[in-house]
Formats: sequence, structure tokens, C-alpha cells
Amino acid sequence: MVDVAVLLSVGRHPVSGRARRAPTDARALELALSLPPGRRTALHAGSPDSPALRDYLGMGLAELTVLAMAEGRDPTDALLARLRALSPAPSILLTGNRAEGGEDSGMLPYSLAHALGWAIVPDVVALTLNDDGSAELVQALARGQRRALRVAMPFVVTIHPAAPAPRPSAFGPARRGRITVEAVDAPEDTALAACAVRPWRDRPKRLTVGAPGGGSGGALDRLRAATEAKAGQGRLLVGPTPDEAARAIYDCLQEQGMLPR
Amino acid sequence: MTARRRDPRAERAARVVPTGGPRLRLALTASDSAAPASGRPRRDPRARRADATVQTAPRLRLDWSGKALAAPATTSAAAVSPAVAGRGVRAVAEPVLRVIDAPACLVFAVLDRADGALSALDRQVMAAARLLADALDGAVVALAPDGPEDWGPEDWGALGADRVLPMPAAWAQEHAPEARAAAVGAAMARWSPVHVVFPESQDGGDVARRVAAVVGERLFAGVESLSAQCVARRAGGGSRELSCAPPRLLSIAADAVAPLGPLRHEARPLDPVAVACAPRLGAARRLPVDPDGVGLGEADFILSAGNGVTDWAAFADLGRALGATRAGSRVVCDAGHLPRDRQVGASGMVVSARSYLAFGIAGAPQHLQGIGGVGHVIAINTDLHAAMIKRADLAIIADAQAVMPALIRLMRERTHG
Repeated sequence: MVDVAVLLSVGRHPVSGRARRAPTDARALELALSLPPGRRTALHAGSPDSPALRDYLGMGLAELTVLAMAEGRDPTDALLARLRALSPAPSILLTGNRAEGGEDSGMLPYSLAHALGWAIVPDVVALTLNDDGSAELVQALARGQRRALRVAMPFVVTIHPAAPAPRPSAFGPARRGRITVEAVDAPEDTALAACAVRPWRDRPKRLTVGAPGGGSGGALDRLRAATEAKAGQGRLLVGPTPDEAARAIYDCLQEQGMLPR
Repeated sequence: MTARRRDPRAERAARVVPTGGPRLRLALTASDSAAPASGRPRRDPRARRADATVQTAPRLRLDWSGKALAAPATTSAAAVSPAVAGRGVRAVAEPVLRVIDAPACLVFAVLDRADGALSALDRQVMAAARLLADALDGAVVALAPDGPEDWGPEDWGALGADRVLPMPAAWAQEHAPEARAAAVGAAMARWSPVHVVFPESQDGGDVARRVAAVVGERLFAGVESLSAQCVARRAGGGSRELSCAPPRLLSIAADAVAPLGPLRHEARPLDPVAVACAPRLGAARRLPVDPDGVGLGEADFILSAGNGVTDWAAFADLGRALGATRAGSRVVCDAGHLPRDRQVGASGMVVSARSYLAFGIAGAPQHLQGIGGVGHVIAINTDLHAAMIKRADLAIIADAQAVMPALIRLMRERTHG
């Protein structure tokens, strides 16, 4: 029995721009639903009218609490107050590692963890609970690597896109689920309001070829890099015995750190 | 750049010679006195030709490639003015040591140095910090785990660091985000930098957010374009761009800033700050992963097969023994020996592995395109004149069917013995 709170946000489809479940938040809910049964509190800060909220309920969530606030407000204090008011206090706070559609800085879980005084583990893909009140977490790293960690409860976890895919949303549970709306008074996000906003335009990819210390060399260097095949260092063994060849390959791989020494 | 607009009236007025007589006199050579408007050094064709002259007797020989010039020029590189040097030569001089004794402010660059190596993103973070510091007459402080013994102040200076605040070398190997964040927070409290620049890598971004939460300031995460006046990042699910003046805490996305060229800075070490931190994340360890489950695009070590491989059982064994992700050329995937998502090349995946071990691949241009971003290539092929042999760092002219079992045997000996 472990009490879990899940923070859910509304995502944005990258092509159509329509509201959808935020991919990592949906994975966080999937992980929360796969934990042993306990109390699950789902929170959303924002508009209660978004159609994407029903998609979360359709995953098998009975109730979703919406802290109603206008766009451009800072939800940190409202969420913090709501989490502190939960009784008994949850032991795990799950959420996606990055929202879609807001500032998308990934700071909110860190601010909450710091204010609550809990540990935070980012980019988690799997979670198993131990009997002694701690949990084993698996973090996704670059290049498909995984790292295991142990942390004592309570803690905040953010979920990586490589976590197991969320179950699809079903129509019946989505209609039956309850959305409880609480109007909260959230302060305006002044730092965000001070930023200039304009539509995103892709920038040309930076070419870094040619010059020895990085930076781009001349146009000829860039043309060469784009058209010619790179030449290697060119160590050549002609007709060695298979064992010599194997030893050369082994030593070379060891030099590059691909094989343990 | 647009050309400067000429003003013929002003040019004419500049050529007028005051004589006092009734007739207007214009100086014919007055155009020399007008400096070239573009500010570009003027090219002297006679000097270029003299530079390119290798010999005059018995026949005149000219070398326009600049190689003949470069050889004697190395002795007096500083004396040769770049304005008169030939077109093909850039005066490559050792950068001058730059010392910033009394900086107006400090800019922190917090580097990852995962596994003790500096990544490309770490260099870009240094470049970003350099840019911000130069605009404010400040100094760059590099905060990173101390390197191995052979990593000295010269190496930090070559990166563009004026000061270095070394952290314990052990943090490069182990996962210690809380301790790193505490160290950065303590250093910020002591030196109060104007900007703190982080890499937006996985661990670097984690540390950046921890620091921002502790300091209670806003992090401008994942900067995509940076200048001294304005930083911009992507927000709103990738649909919007937020921009503002550079804030105190910012993290740099990969490939957003060009790395610096050759530099020499002082890299004066600062006294380390004492850090008290009780880590709550423990027992961190890497988990073994199934190499074939990793996507080709993000695989680090690829074992690839081409038309020269017929012993597929040995190829699979070798992949398992080496712990490498298996891949193949188009021919191999067409024949059904490997699934389509394992194809490397123009019509398959473009890979960026650190190491690429190719058995029986001749190296069609399309395949070489696919391995354009690979660090090291080892090729085993029977054809000495294959294009792959030219590309490889280690090329072995032998039959793949003979070498694969030998390599498996060697791997077993080394791992068990």
C-alpha cells in the first residue's frame, strides 16, 4: 500500500496543435496505475475545460482534481498547498519530465521537491517498491543505457519518454470519471510574461567542419566534408593469420574503450 | 554584407587641388589617398606571385597551393603579415596567452565531464560562457570534476577558462547530482557570478534544475540561440520561441553555440569550497542492456555485416561476445539475413556510433554516407581496393569467415582467463 500523487498536464500535438495527453505525463499515470493498489491522487493545474483531461480519466482513473487557473499563472504554490493538504501525505509524486505547451522548462517537479524537502529522481522508466520503505528506480540514459538507483520514500519522480507506453484511453471510463474543479488564486508568472514570444522557426544546422579547433573552416572545407568520404588513419594489415587479425581488432577496440581492459 | 555606396561628388571634391587660378585642377592619383571602404586587406598580385615562385631557373615554377610558402613561413610566422600572404595560406600563429587579472564579474561554466572526458556540449558551454563574459569584461570560471593527472591548467586554458574551480575527480565517474548541485550552489554563494551556464544534457540539466530550485531562481533551460543581448529557447511544445536578455541561470542545448577556436587562457585555480551534502540517491549502478534492443541511431558500438559474410551463426555469436549492436548493409537486409531496421546507409539509418566494426563490407557510397558520423572504423575485407579499406582506421585484408571465429575465441580467452 503506497499513496501516489500524479501531476498531469495537457500536451500539444506537434503537427495538428490539438490538445492531447502529454506523452510523459500519460506514462507517469501508467506507472502509477501499475503500482500496487493504494490511494491515487491526480492533479491538474490549468483550465478544467480541456478535452484532453477526459483522456486521462479514460485510462482508468476515477477522479481528477483540477486547480482552475488561467493561462500564464504560476501553478507551483497552488500545487504545493494542495499536496500538503493531502492526508495521509502521498509517498511518491509522479509526473512527466517535460510538459508540452507551457514554458516546458521541466522545473516544476524540482521546485516542488525542494519545497517539500523530498528527493527527486529524473528520467525514470521503471519503479519497484521494496518492503523497507525504499524504492528501486531505473533511469534512462542516452544511447539506450540504463542506471539503477535506490531512494527512500517520499520522493518525486519524473518519467522519461522511453518508459512503457501508456494504455489507450477508453470511452466508458472517460465519461464515468469525475473532474473536481477547485478555483485557486495563482500569481501571475512575471518572468514568463517578461519574455518575448514569437512562433518558432527552425534555424539552419550549424556546420562545424574544417578548422582544427572547432568552428567552421572555409567554404572548401565544408564542401569537402559534405561530398567526400572521410579517410581513416589507414593502418593496414594484408593477409594476416586469423589470430593476428583478431588480436589487432581486440587491441584496437580496447584502445577505444569499447572492451574492458 | 552590402558594398559601401560611393559618393562621386565627394570623391571629386577630394581630388581638387587648390591652385588659386581660374582653372579647376584635379589630382589624378588622389584615389590612392581614399582608403578602401571595406576595410579588407588589399591583395598584392606581385607579392603573391613572388611568394608562389618555387624556382626561376632553368624554368619558372609557380605553386599556387600555398604549400611552398607555408614551409619557410613557419620560421617567421609572426613577421609575415596576413595581408600580403597568398590566398591559400592563413597565418596560423600560436594564440597569445590572455590574462584577466581583475575581472568586472564572473561567469560560471558548469561542465559535465562524464567519465572524465569533455563532450562537444561541454566545449559549447565554454564557448557560451566566454561569449557572455567577454561582453561584460568578465572572467570565465570552469566548474568541473578534476581530471586525470595529465590534465593540467594548460588544458583548461585551451578551453577558454580564466579560472578553474575543480570538483572532486571521483564525481566524473559516479552519479552525484546532489553533491554537484550543492558545490555549484556554495560556489555561487561565495563568488556571486553574473551568469551560470549549464549544459542541457541529461545529467547537466538535472544539476542545473537542482541548483535553480535551491537558489530559488528561474532557469532558462535549453537555450537554442545565444548572443550577449538576447537568449532564445523553444517552448510551447516546440511551437513558440521565448527570448529575453541573458538571465542568471541558463542551460545550453546541444549544437546551439559554435565551439571556440584555439585559445590560451590563464586557468588560475580557485580554492575549492567546502560542500556538506547528505546524498539521498544511493546505490547507483549501470544496468546491462541488450545491445540489439538499442536503436541503431543511438548505438555506441556497431558490428556490421556485408555481402562478404556467409557464416551468420558466427556473426550472431560475435555480436553477443563483443556486446555490440548488430547491423548490416543493404544487400544483407535485402536478402533477409537481418531485419530492415538494422540497415546502415543512405536508405537505412545514418549512425553515429563511436566504433564501427565492419565485416565483408566493400563500402558503397551510400553505405559510407550512413557511417559519416562514426568515430572509429575497423574493416575486414578480402578486397584491398575496396572503398571501405580507405575509410577504415584499421583495415584487415582477410576472410570474414576466418576472422570471426578467431575473434570469438580470443574474447572467450580474455573474459574467462
